[in-house]
Amino acid sequence: MNVCSDQLVLSLADPDQILGLSRFSRDAWQSWAADKARNYPRLSGEAEDVLVLKPDIVVVSLFDKRATRELLKANGLHLVEFTVPRTLDEVKAQIREMGDVVQHPDRAASVIARLDAAIARARAAASGRHYRALPLERRGFVSGEASLVNSLLREVGLTNAAGELGIGAGGFASLEAIVKLRPDFILVAEAGDRAEDDGRAFLLHPALQRFYPPDKRIVLPERLTVCGGVMLADALDKLTAELQRVTR
Amino acid sequence: MSVQDFALASEAAARRRWGATAALAALVVLLALISLGIGPVRLSPLTVTEALFGGATDVAQVIVREIRLPRTILAFAIGGILGLSGAALQGLLRNPLASPSLFGAPQSAAFGAVLVISLGLADVRSYALPVVAIIAAFGSVFALLAIAGRNAGLLILILAGLAISSFAGAATALVMNLSSNPFVVLEIAFWLLGSLEDRSFQHVALALPFIVAGAMILLSQASAFRALTLGEEAAQSLGVDVGRLRLLVITGVALGVGGAVAVTGTIGFIGLVAPHLMRPVIGHDPARLLVPSALAGSALLLAADIAVRIIPSTSDIKVGVLTSIIGVPFFLYLIMRERRALGGGVA
Repeated sequence: MNVCSDQLVLSLADPDQILGLSRFSRDAWQSWAADKARNYPRLSGEAEDVLVLKPDIVVVSLFDKRATRELLKANGLHLVEFTVPRTLDEVKAQIREMGDVVQHPDRAASVIARLDAAIARARAAASGRHYRALPLERRGFVSGEASLVNSLLREVGLTNAAGELGIGAGGFASLEAIVKLRPDFILVAEAGDRAEDDGRAFLLHPALQRFYPPDKRIVLPERLTVCGGVMLADALDKLTAELQRVTR
Repeated sequence: MSVQDFALASEAAARRRWGATAALAALVVLLALISLGIGPVRLSPLTVTEALFGGATDVAQVIVREIRLPRTILAFAIGGILGLSGAALQGLLRNPLASPSLFGAPQSAAFGAVLVISLGLADVRSYALPVVAIIAAFGSVFALLAIAGRNAGLLILILAGLAISSFAGAATALVMNLSSNPFVVLEIAFWLLGSLEDRSFQHVALALPFIVAGAMILLSQASAFRALTLGEEAAQSLGVDVGRLRLLVITGVALGVGGAVAVTGTIGFIGLVAPHLMRPVIGHDPARLLVPSALAGSALLLAADIAVRIIPSTSDIKVGVLTSIIGVPFFLYLIMRERRALGGGVA
């Protein structure tokens, strides 16, 4: 029912265990497993089609619509609820839990091993110098302390500059404040200089471009970072590679 | 009253007009300076001045020259063109309630721009945006004047304007739903509120040529507006081609409003309020009202844009919201004052 639980299910369950995936499951921008998701029916996000499928288990996120969840429960379906993980340990716990749900704990263990290997690689490659990076999204949104991105940054030896802006969990930073702070790098979701809307135009403002040309921008696609799961191993490898590119 | 008395009186009136215009220009300059001095990062006036002329640190320079200066220029130009458009429309229709926002022009321009954004047709910083916005604004004002007819009463104009702006609003919502960009609804919801935040010189380059062209067209028709106060027939006998004048005014307003909306979203009611603030000082001559109204519009938008940066709030207040909050009660007040005329229109 949710783009993040989709990806956990896809990486751990057998194909015949999956009856349907969420509405955004095929969105390559959000989902790392978008290609794989094309083989399965896409659900509307409402209760109706779930009820028709009569699944044994419905995996939902606490961010899914409450009314829909209540309705499914009231109709006797077994719901397993996942929260949004904020640290790598929470991610590992979720992978383990999902492994139990789909009755493939062995696969969960191998996924976790892959993640651990990536973490070890990232730590080994982490540079001694403590660079400050600011994870910056559209409209100037900055992920703070309690976010997956923050944990990823820490693993590769980067400090999240959000704290210096007084941003705790996450919030918007003004262009002026970012320019004044001058972190060493900014972390963005895509390269390129096309602004399809104003939110993206923020990241391409000349003031930001001047201090952060492409070789000061760490590019980490959103589909690797929005959810917790196997893709975080790729995220860490990519982050390490990017860090080597910009510090060269 | 002897001829001499009359000459003295008109001389006094002229002095007052020049005095008021000069004071207004000074106010605009002052507000522009304040606008450069204010932002989330506190910079001293000295640093701001140095940075403006290439001194101070490079961070201060970027903040002042690339973040604040474009914003100030846009507030000045857009406020100005909105005030001017309002004065021109009021002159053309000889009607104090005329203004671009009541006629649905910004809403229609916004529809044009939203069409481009949400269908992902072009980069938001390309000329496609103002051009489509201008075409949409032109279409809406043209349609309004065609529907309302030549000697339309207030009521018809306002009703037709309401219909057009509701239509543009609905069309905008529909286009948003058809978009493939997942962020588009939020983006456009923000954008429709009107904001000058984080604009750059790319935006200035996008809007300014159209605003300047629109302003020149409107200003060039000043004497025609004056002739028009005598009535359409009298104006025609004085050599004013009323049909051509209408077309020019619509073009001027569409160029200005379309160009403005394309970079800031909809900012309403400045065009309505500015001429009214100036009328008691300047008098009722629509030709003399144009420049002071433009200045008053600039001052209003600069002040509103300063206010949104000062008012403490958790997230940023949109300047378009502020102008509407001030503008709508003003509009209601005008309706109250014009109640008799409106009632007469019905009877």
